[in-house]
Amino acid sequence: MKLIRRHWTPGSADEWTKEDWITIIISPLCYILLSIGVGLSFLLLPVGFITLTAGIVLIILMHWIIDPKLKSISHDYEEKQQQYLEELENKVRWEEKNG
Amino acid sequence: MVTFEFLDWLWIVLFLFIMIGAGILFYRLGKRSESDFFLAGRGLPWWLPASSVYATHTATDTPMWVTGVIYKYGFTGIWYTFFAAWCAISAFVSTRIFRRSLAYTQAEWNTLRFHGVGAEMLRGWISGWQVFMNMFILGWVGMAMGKICNYMFGWELWIGLIVFSAVCAVYVLAAGYWGVIMADFQQGVIAFAVIVIVSVWGIIAAGGSEGIITKLSEMGESWRLNPFHFSGWFEGDFPAAWFITMMVIALIGGFGMGTSIDWYAEAQRIQSSKTVRDASYSIWWGTALVLIRNSIWAVAVLAFFVLFPGITDASEYELGWFRLGFDYLPAGMVGFFFAAIIAIHLSTISTHLNLGAMYFTRDLYLHYFKPTAGEKELVWVGRFATLVLLIGSFFYGLMMEEITSWLIFALWLMAAGVWLPNILQVVWWRFNSWGYLSSWIANLGMSWLVVWILPSYGVIPELPDYQQFWLLMLLGAIIYIPVTLLTKPEPMEHLVKFYAQSRPIGWWSPVRKEAQKLGLLNHLNKEQTKMETA
Repeated sequence: MKLIRRHWTPGSADEWTKEDWITIIISPLCYILLSIGVGLSFLLLPVGFITLTAGIVLIILMHWIIDPKLKSISHDYEEKQQQYLEELENKVRWEEKNG
Repeated sequence: MVTFEFLDWLWIVLFLFIMIGAGILFYRLGKRSESDFFLAGRGLPWWLPASSVYATHTATDTPMWVTGVIYKYGFTGIWYTFFAAWCAISAFVSTRIFRRSLAYTQAEWNTLRFHGVGAEMLRGWISGWQVFMNMFILGWVGMAMGKICNYMFGWELWIGLIVFSAVCAVYVLAAGYWGVIMADFQQGVIAFAVIVIVSVWGIIAAGGSEGIITKLSEMGESWRLNPFHFSGWFEGDFPAAWFITMMVIALIGGFGMGTSIDWYAEAQRIQSSKTVRDASYSIWWGTALVLIRNSIWAVAVLAFFVLFPGITDASEYELGWFRLGFDYLPAGMVGFFFAAIIAIHLSTISTHLNLGAMYFTRDLYLHYFKPTAGEKELVWVGRFATLVLLIGSFFYGLMMEEITSWLIFALWLMAAGVWLPNILQVVWWRFNSWGYLSSWIANLGMSWLVVWILPSYGVIPELPDYQQFWLLMLLGAIIYIPVTLLTKPEPMEHLVKFYAQSRPIGWWSPVRKEAQKLGLLNHLNKEQTKMETA
């Protein structure tokens, strides 16, 4: 079994899996590295460029991990969206429906 | 006072023309339906709401408080601005769950997640609170613009407050969210470009990067370059414990909905995105831009510190970034800078006008007053609500001096005691509407006690804000956890429907089992059968 799954069926993509949890850990790190890296790079400090590069690499990695899953969820879900929207409208207009 | 040349005025007139033009251009799209007026028909690619997230959270008062914390604490002050990072986890957790629910607003989501009278009470409360909050933010931000115009041109405060918000209302009234999002894109690009230009200009004026580092070293202030220069673990005015609390609030808060006051505006952007994927990326990249912007500002403020060290009056050094622009940009560019300030201002005003109107129209008018209202009527109600919010914000803005401390207290209520319940409503099936309602009520009482009453009677010392947060969280839990467990869970049928549609993360196994039993997780059932057969 591969460490990172990159091919998803709509059903399996609906589940919360380790790919989500890895993203949940990487994503805040990206923000922290970006915040520090951009500032220190503007000051032309080597540590700034290293931090910024690490942040960019992590962003690419994060997208590589989560993007196939998000695509699969989106594709499957958009097919159902119209039906859900109609149900939602009925719920909001409850008086009309019940009256 | 700042003097404008012909070219400066030209920039401003041109910019206002483009903004109002955007409203007229998208007028036809905005009036088609309620969904168009408030969510741009739920069809936006990720980069449009992302630019709106960025533009909305770049307000006229933002450079002031960013400048304030960086001037005071050096680069470590960047963590004060890190609360925006709740989107790091939210983009991939609560955003996905919320987008799948298709609720227009957080108040509407409450009736999907909870059931019965409790859910209706929550919806009424959240929507009323949001109409009020948006009016308050409009007044607050409008007043910041009044102060800037007073500083620049010597105008009375009310002129800056009323003129620019009224200009903004033209395109929000005409095109609704279509106007907001299209104008936000232009405003976001202009604002980001100007923030970079002014900041680089300021850095050069201070002797460039090398000059800033050398001068800070000569002044014995090199610690200002360190992003982790805390005053100790618990002691001082910027301890590491504060930093850790901020990280917990911001990052773990991403599992919930409403853990940040910004969630409500972001929720609109999430629902206006074309797909779940677009929603996730819009929130993530919009916030990434906000954080990058903060870092650029931070360096510019270090440059300002080198140029003007030793200012002790906060109201003076908070205008530092604006001073870099007005004092150092060449003639002709100052107007462009002011046009960018207008962009920054309008993007925030437009969002809150449309957002407050959405809560009024969708959650109060349509849900409680006239569920039979047609699409055309709802668009007109949306416009009327926009106008009411605009006028209300003028009154709020003019009263702001007297009510600020009360309203900051009201903002504080949003964060502390309901932070954990805002997460629990997403991750724990057993958490019910009564538990959530009780957390709001408990928080109201506890906040008064912890922040004002008990310290004034000497029962407890005056605690730093991060300790108040932990205490309020604990005290609230003593109320809402028993209330939740002593009242009935939401009906299983209702929870199953919510689960099948939204697929929340966390402790949902009884609901999940029921959903599987009813065959509502079809894909999963088929795949499991296939695996078992194999």
